[in-house]
Amino acid sequence: MTPAVEFQSVSRHFGAVKAVDRVDLTIAEGSFFAMLGPSGSGKTTCLRLISGFEMPTSGAVRIFGEDMGTVPPNRRHVNTVFQDYALFPHMSVRENVAYGLMVKGVDRRSREARAEEMLALVKLDGFGGRRPAQLSGGQRQRVALARALVNEPRVLLLDEPLGALDLKLREAMQDELKSLQQRLGITFVFVTHDQGEALSMADRVAVFNEGRVAQVGTPEDIYERPATRFVADFVGSSNVLAPAVTEAFGGPRAWASLRPEAIRLAPGGRVRGTVTGARYLGAGTRLEVRTGALPRTPSDHHDGGIAVLVPAGAAVPGVGAEVALDWDAGALHLMGEEP
Amino acid sequence: MSGAAHPARGPGDRLTGLFWRRPKLLTALLLLPPLLWLGVVYIGSLVALLVQSFYSIDQFSGLVVPDFTLKTYAELLIPSNFDIIVRTVAMAAAVTLASVVLAFPVAYFAARYAKGRWKAVFYLGIMLPLWSSYLVKVYAWKLILAKEGIVTWAAEGIGAGNLLNAVLALPVIGGNSLSTSYIGTFLVFLYVWLPYMILPMQASLERVPTSMLEASADLGAGNWRTLRSVILPLALPGVIAGSIFTFSLTLGDYIIPQIVGSSRFFIGQAVYSLQGTAGNIPLAAAFAVVPIAIMLVYLTIARKMGAFDAL
Repeated sequence: MTPAVEFQSVSRHFGAVKAVDRVDLTIAEGSFFAMLGPSGSGKTTCLRLISGFEMPTSGAVRIFGEDMGTVPPNRRHVNTVFQDYALFPHMSVRENVAYGLMVKGVDRRSREARAEEMLALVKLDGFGGRRPAQLSGGQRQRVALARALVNEPRVLLLDEPLGALDLKLREAMQDELKSLQQRLGITFVFVTHDQGEALSMADRVAVFNEGRVAQVGTPEDIYERPATRFVADFVGSSNVLAPAVTEAFGGPRAWASLRPEAIRLAPGGRVRGTVTGARYLGAGTRLEVRTGALPRTPSDHHDGGIAVLVPAGAAVPGVGAEVALDWDAGALHLMGEEP
Repeated sequence: MSGAAHPARGPGDRLTGLFWRRPKLLTALLLLPPLLWLGVVYIGSLVALLVQSFYSIDQFSGLVVPDFTLKTYAELLIPSNFDIIVRTVAMAAAVTLASVVLAFPVAYFAARYAKGRWKAVFYLGIMLPLWSSYLVKVYAWKLILAKEGIVTWAAEGIGAGNLLNAVLALPVIGGNSLSTSYIGTFLVFLYVWLPYMILPMQASLERVPTSMLEASADLGAGNWRTLRSVILPLALPGVIAGSIFTFSLTLGDYIIPQIVGSSRFFIGQAVYSLQGTAGNIPLAAAFAVVPIAIMLVYLTIARKMGAFDAL
């Protein structure tokens, strides 16, 4: 099957800055694909390479097998939900949604009918006559979604779609986007810096770092089997262990990650240490434990301390208490060197 | 005691305290001078003007008769006076339209592409002409456009002398030379008022986020469609603001048409000569009310068309 989107050794340089550096990516048709990474990692530039607002410095972007080399944005069968929604303030919600159809020359009656259908799809029936300024952030987001979907794109691009929404709304929209994607069966590609969002919505995730793809895989792959130190560190908040530490913890001499929730407090455990800090998280308590045998690792936020998640309900030792830590043999995940 | 935390209070502190307790007092004090200025000097003189326009002049004695009458306004409709109004409004409209067309690319470039040093060059380039005397500029234009001036010379130099003559041979707008034709008046008006169109236009274009243009392209629109359906409607408040300047400044000016152009009167010149040598203050006042009325009608139409919706 032809992939929906394909990057073949794509680079995009801005002067001396390599925003995107030799990226290879394959996005299967019908998938919900997340581009995850910190700001400046190249994820948004990759999205703009698909929509056509950026041109590759080298390499090729293909959409359903067709090289997009010289195809301008308005000739691509992809649509975008912009981060700031970019709704036209001088048009009603209905006119906003019908804009793409108006451009195509669809007559007023049918395009307004289609716009209303789309508004119903995003649960905004009856809002057609309002102005974008009269809507809440969540409603504007839905309008942006309807405005993109009315054009029946084969790939929908979403740039930080939930970034501007508050927590409750964000969670509701996550479910809604997911079910919308499954119902429509089209490919969704979204950009986010929020690992929770990427893991919970996407069925495939590409983790970006400094213009390169550090790892592509299912959310489980990314979370449980991070390929590099960066991925382990960025996705969730894993303990990244330097080779010497891994060795001291009973593993081979290699970089490894150890999830805080995989560690338990157990008398007679593998490693002994002192609690240096505790942070209450509601669903549990995150302890910082300094293990005596531990040398300082190069990674600055794990300087000799190790994070342990104590689930809610379990006894939480106080700061200064001596504890012993234990984990299952498989919990220590070994990683390759940074590419 | 709490002396260290609350040091001794001087008169300045007490005044600050008073204003802090009564914020409206400060607002009132700050607003009083401009309100007096606007109310008495500005609105007051406008009302005086309006009142005068309803007086009439006694044909025999030449004295102003301070009785309410619409006779003076009726005088505006006699052909020689009405021609002045039509001429002035047509000129103001032409200058405004040409300003919009000329200003748009400049303002668009400045708003979207000019950064740092280029932006400074832009502002300097737009503002510099405003720093020199208006009279100097107008007289300079008279020389530029004169029959012996540089435009004629350059046109003949590149072999376009016939074209220039053909343009000058056009009825109504043509004339003996550029500096004695309506074309000349138009060019000078356009030059002098153009900055007043560029600056508000640029300000409104700057407020159109790039993502909105990208959204339009993303939804399939080409450049022309984006210009028509997104950029122009969003820039409209700036265009209207600019056109208020170019339109009303042209309506009221009496120096440019006197120095450059045919000797036919514009409203400003009519007002000037009526209140001066002729001593017909009521008719001068009635003439002066015309631009105000036109601007009110213009703004009402602009509002109805939704020009201020994007504000």
